[in-house]
Amino acid sequence: MNHFNSIRIIFVCFIFLLTIPTMALAQLNVVTTTEDIASIVREVGGDLVTVKSIAKGYQDPHVIEAKPSYMLKVNRADLLIYQGLELEVGWLPMLIQGGRNKKVFPGQLGHLDVSEAITPLDVPIGELDRSMGDVHPSGNPHYHLNPHNGLLMADSIADRLSLLDPANADAYQSNLDDFSKRLENKIREWTARMEKFQNLNVITYHATWNYLLDFLAIESIGTIENRPGIPPSGKHLSELATMMKQTNTRVILQANFFEKEFSDLLAGKTQGEVVVLPAYAGGTREAKDYLALFDVLINKLEKTFGKHLSVVNGESR
Amino acid sequence: MKSLKILFFALVCALIGSNASAEEKKYFQNRIEKLENRVKQIEAEKSRKPSSLSTRRGLSSSSSTATRISRAFNPAISVNGLLLGTYTDQGRADGSREVKTGMKVQEVELRFTANIDSYLHGDLTIAFEGDEVEIEEIIASLLVANNLSFRAGKFFAPFGKHNLLHTHAFPFIDAPLINEEILGEEGINEVGVGMALLLPTPWFSEFNILFLEGDNDLFAGPLNDDFLYLAHWKNLVDLTDELTAELGGSFGYGRNDLTTGPYNYTTLAGADLTFKWKPSGRELYRTLVWQTEFIQSSRDVVKNGIYTLLQYQFARRWWAQGRYDFFTIPRDTVGGGGEVAQDKNRYSALLAFAPSEFSALRLQYNFLDQSAAENEHQVLLQLNFTFGSHPAHKY
Repeated sequence: MNHFNSIRIIFVCFIFLLTIPTMALAQLNVVTTTEDIASIVREVGGDLVTVKSIAKGYQDPHVIEAKPSYMLKVNRADLLIYQGLELEVGWLPMLIQGGRNKKVFPGQLGHLDVSEAITPLDVPIGELDRSMGDVHPSGNPHYHLNPHNGLLMADSIADRLSLLDPANADAYQSNLDDFSKRLENKIREWTARMEKFQNLNVITYHATWNYLLDFLAIESIGTIENRPGIPPSGKHLSELATMMKQTNTRVILQANFFEKEFSDLLAGKTQGEVVVLPAYAGGTREAKDYLALFDVLINKLEKTFGKHLSVVNGESR
Repeated sequence: MKSLKILFFALVCALIGSNASAEEKKYFQNRIEKLENRVKQIEAEKSRKPSSLSTRRGLSSSSSTATRISRAFNPAISVNGLLLGTYTDQGRADGSREVKTGMKVQEVELRFTANIDSYLHGDLTIAFEGDEVEIEEIIASLLVANNLSFRAGKFFAPFGKHNLLHTHAFPFIDAPLINEEILGEEGINEVGVGMALLLPTPWFSEFNILFLEGDNDLFAGPLNDDFLYLAHWKNLVDLTDELTAELGGSFGYGRNDLTTGPYNYTTLAGADLTFKWKPSGRELYRTLVWQTEFIQSSRDVVKNGIYTLLQYQFARRWWAQGRYDFFTIPRDTVGGGGEVAQDKNRYSALLAFAPSEFSALRLQYNFLDQSAAENEHQVLLQLNFTFGSHPAHKY
């Protein structure tokens, strides 16, 4: 009997030892395509997950290449989260195919397209083809730049984490509540600070900023790119210049991964100012996470618009 | 009705009772106003849209045909067109030359891609070249288990870097000399089966084993069951966020058409090294690629050679490229085959203008310094375009 007991104890110890490495590995391994999603996953997942983003915040996610080293990240992921609306169409399908990881195949729990949680802007109406440039048939993919969408993104991420790891669902929920509360407070602050600039006009380089402008109720009256992804012609730039003068528009917004030459050219013709902004968390050192990104954006826009508001009002009245 | 009233009263009480600050109230008012505007806007848009009948008709016309067979599961289809103009200072009167002055459709590739079912993925590439129509690739691939994939069909075998490429994805207008002279004009494009295993290393490391028919001239044995066995090992390391190094080794072995003697098996060996650089945050505007590949085949004669090429993207739409090719049949290894020893050097320069990722105009100059023929100057101008839904290119 004693002998049997000791065997039982050894057996239990053995089982316990076996579970130690699995407990250490119990963290969900999440791979995201952009730093914004990674930042939100960090907020919602806390210590329960490890997160890596494929695109860095200072890179244009349209033009990432399907490096085999990224395939390795996808290969070892429990959950792949991407922005969707064809933002990553040039490389993500290759990474999923080359990653050879069934957990993150389309239709699996480990495959999450966050764009399903939001309502896209700029959904083209009517027939489309490539003569229209780099059009996104399902809508503008830069939706993370409206912080209200950040709330929806966090919701959908928390849902999925809870499905994959139900044992920690409560923890994800309370992290989500905490993050949403902080973001809501911040939204109130940003809205209050930017209220006085509502209905101002701006020009943007690419349609990157439409969601942010929608949030701030600022109007984009044109893009420097002739069509999405297509550099402007001289004629297009001079038309923009005329429009800027007629509407008293002084501010040109562009993301920091585009070269400034065309924006500078236009600014030179119109006494305008080019504002170079990070478009993703990690886009600059200060914009280190999702909330900090908006702090940086709002600080910069408040300063710039503040400078131009008096001029605009002075001339138009 | 009464209960509704009570509920409403309770709600109002709750709202008044809650100690929401004035700021918060203002915030919620703003949000409500915004939402109201949004609803108005959406309703206005709806009323502006054409009648539901025409919308429905539009939908049905894109999702099925009159046969009521759904189009939703059609494969992604794309066409690559390659139009080529050539000038050469040699062989003006010789119509049989591979490279001769004139214009031609270099190649048209028709590509179909789709998932076949929940297990298999399918790819078909049909190539039109002159009067010839060829199945360039037909592949059914399957992920057997995580990290282990399997494929069957006819395909460009993973031997080195260049052999894998379709003509429209060549870094230069023509293939490297070693690919043309050693592997033949079609390259190693064979019917067979293959297995690819992703190794559990901290860097990307993939091992390929293939069992192929062996139709290539190098491996065309006298018996029907003379097959070609091929192995390829590919490694890629991120040296920094901006720079990758890729190192590959390839080996092939199979019976050839020599009937006697010690040379009736061909061995084929290759090595490749590629560095690729893109600056962080300026991926759209700058790229530098340095790629070198060595191939050797041994049967009664040994043939070998190397190419090294540089591709530099110096502006969003512009590329400048250079390549050096060397191919040799060393004299002292000539056996009874009667082939003459020779060597060839080729120097190439290319300038490409790519208005978008779907089209490029490329101008290339070649100087051939060769022992078996007159030295030659060639100028090539190619228009390279893609339309339809084309899968992304490999890194």
